Amino acid sequence: MSNPSAGTPSKAKAGSSQPSEASFKRKRGVFQKDLQHMMYGFGDDANPFPETVTLVEDIVVEYVTDLAHKAQDIGSKRGKLSVEDFLYLIRKDTPKLNRCTELLSMQEELKQARKAFEVDEEKLATLE
Amino acid sequence: MDQQPPPQPSPSTVPAALTPTPPNATASSSDPSQQQPQQQPPLSQPPTPSPQQPQLSQTSQIQQQPSQPFPSRTPSTFPSPNLNPKPLPKPQQPPQPRPALSAPQPRIAATFLRPWQQQSSHFINSSSSSPSVTSTPAPTLSSQPRGSINLGAPSSHSSPSPPSPSPSPSQPSPFSGSFGHSFTGASSSNVSQSRPPMQGMTIGSHSQMRPPGISAQHQQRPLQSSLRPPSLPNSQSPATQNFQGHGSMRVSAVGSSTPSTLQTSQVHNQPWLSSGSQGKPPLPPPSFRPQINSPSLQQRSHIPQQHHSSPTVPQQQHVSSPQLPQSSSLQPQEHFRQQMSPTPGPPQSLPHQQPPRAQGSVNQKPSSLATVQPSTVQLVNQNKAALTETDESGGKILTKRSIHDLLNQIDPSEKLDPEVEDILVDIAEDFVDSITTFGCSLAKHRKSDTLEAKDILLHLERNWNMILPGFTGDEIKTYRKPLTNEVHKERLAAIKKSIVVSGVNAKGNLGKVGANILGSPNVKI
Repeated sequence: MSNPSAGTPSKAKAGSSQPSEASFKRKRGVFQKDLQHMMYGFGDDANPFPETVTLVEDIVVEYVTDLAHKAQDIGSKRGKLSVEDFLYLIRKDTPKLNRCTELLSMQEELKQARKAFEVDEEKLATLE
Repeated sequence: MDQQPPPQPSPSTVPAALTPTPPNATASSSDPSQQQPQQQPPLSQPPTPSPQQPQLSQTSQIQQQPSQPFPSRTPSTFPSPNLNPKPLPKPQQPPQPRPALSAPQPRIAATFLRPWQQQSSHFINSSSSSPSVTSTPAPTLSSQPRGSINLGAPSSHSSPSPPSPSPSPSQPSPFSGSFGHSFTGASSSNVSQSRPPMQGMTIGSHSQMRPPGISAQHQQRPLQSSLRPPSLPNSQSPATQNFQGHGSMRVSAVGSSTPSTLQTSQVHNQPWLSSGSQGKPPLPPPSFRPQINSPSLQQRSHIPQQHHSSPTVPQQQHVSSPQLPQSSSLQPQEHFRQQMSPTPGPPQSLPHQQPPRAQGSVNQKPSSLATVQPSTVQLVNQNKAALTETDESGGKILTKRSIHDLLNQIDPSEKLDPEVEDILVDIAEDFVDSITTFGCSLAKHRKSDTLEAKDILLHLERNWNMILPGFTGDEIKTYRKPLTNEVHKERLAAIKKSIVVSGVNAKGNLGKVGANILGSPNVKI
């Protein structure tokens, strides 16, 4: 699941929406293009109904919003919002949790690889 | 019939009078009829079409009393049902002895009619005048019913009565003629059937008219359902159907009358009220509107006529203000009228009202509630009372058929006992009722007089743990940081400070181990 990746944008959204009390006018069709491809991947028609896409987008936005609110509730006790809060919230959903941990570990590996790459370059430079 | 005497002084009062008449119809069936005939003789005198027209418009709100609009025509028999709250006749009405009206009423009620009037008259006079009603209706019907509301008259009935309309040309309202034809046919047919048309008319009356009207309702329902395909589920159909049927019959009259009658019927929730759908057409103007606007050309033609009556509406509204039930009914009527004038108003109005009626399914409710209806909240309250009755009478939200369909979706081979189906229907109705009630309280808390989707959604989300995606609109729920007291923050800071201090001391005194132990709580915090 794209939770970890979605988690970051959701964090950003939650952060932006927190300060103001007024409800935001949310944009419709934020995920429209991406969702169409995803729905096709999960078995829907290549060109799904716009109403269907809108409904799925509503579901996604509501889910992410709800998750962000709960994470903030937990994070505020700790002081700050962190990745751990989100992982705690999806602990009961095993596939999501596994996917999240996998993506996070991949992210760490990539970081290490980039770091190692830079170090190699430096070594080459020094060798030369 | 408190309502009847007060309206007399002014035309506006007339509508008020009319509305009360239905409820009083049973109680003082004679009174309205009495007043009507009294009104009629005076009414007959003022032949001017203008008074008649306003009356006609008012009649839409009317209560069964057929009289007033007809006064010109049927001086003799019309008890001048409060249908046409004519300004002139009104004042005269009160002085007229009610008991006198009783005699002519059965006839008049029958004749006038409006199909629903007939029914109401039937109810009122059910014991006595039913035979007389049936006989007389033809002549009187032609005159009055035309102008008034053809609430109950099913379209099928309208055809046979061409001859009867002819006498009604005297009727001021232009549409009356057309209505009359349809109405007369309906009325005549209705007379025999009297019950059904009346019942069809108002949801409120619906409940009241139940026993006789159920058959009529069913008749009307198919008409209405065909008219209004979109929104309503079975449960809603009876209410809407009634309106549709009414609308088709008489656009102008119905619009105003139905909402009033509906409300009145609902308000009173009295069985005899159903017969009294009389003056006040049941509320569901919004539902009525879409039906009227969309489905039939007839209605459209009549709509402009209603506009004529629209000026009378404000008068009526004023009148009704003193009377709660009337006011509520009037408001919807007024809204209805306003809506009518813009014509094919958004079909949303229909669904909106209906859900409040607790006739729509929960799923439909959020969508239907989306549109704003100012009087919805009031209507809902009234409807709730009426709805319970209607549900019992046949205005079901859920029919057995839909239960079977649901069951097939779950498990095609499953069977349910009839008692189980009955109780499921009851549970569904109670659920819709409670949801609507709470949604209305939330809307009121929001300082709004319109039941919207967000009220229902909030209630379901908080109390029923049901999340319905797709109805939130363009708003995102705002996040509120958990409120923390200053005192609590200070205490936490003090604890941290003490830990740090003790940790430092421990480091100095106890060495590394102590520091580590003391240090960990800091980390956690």
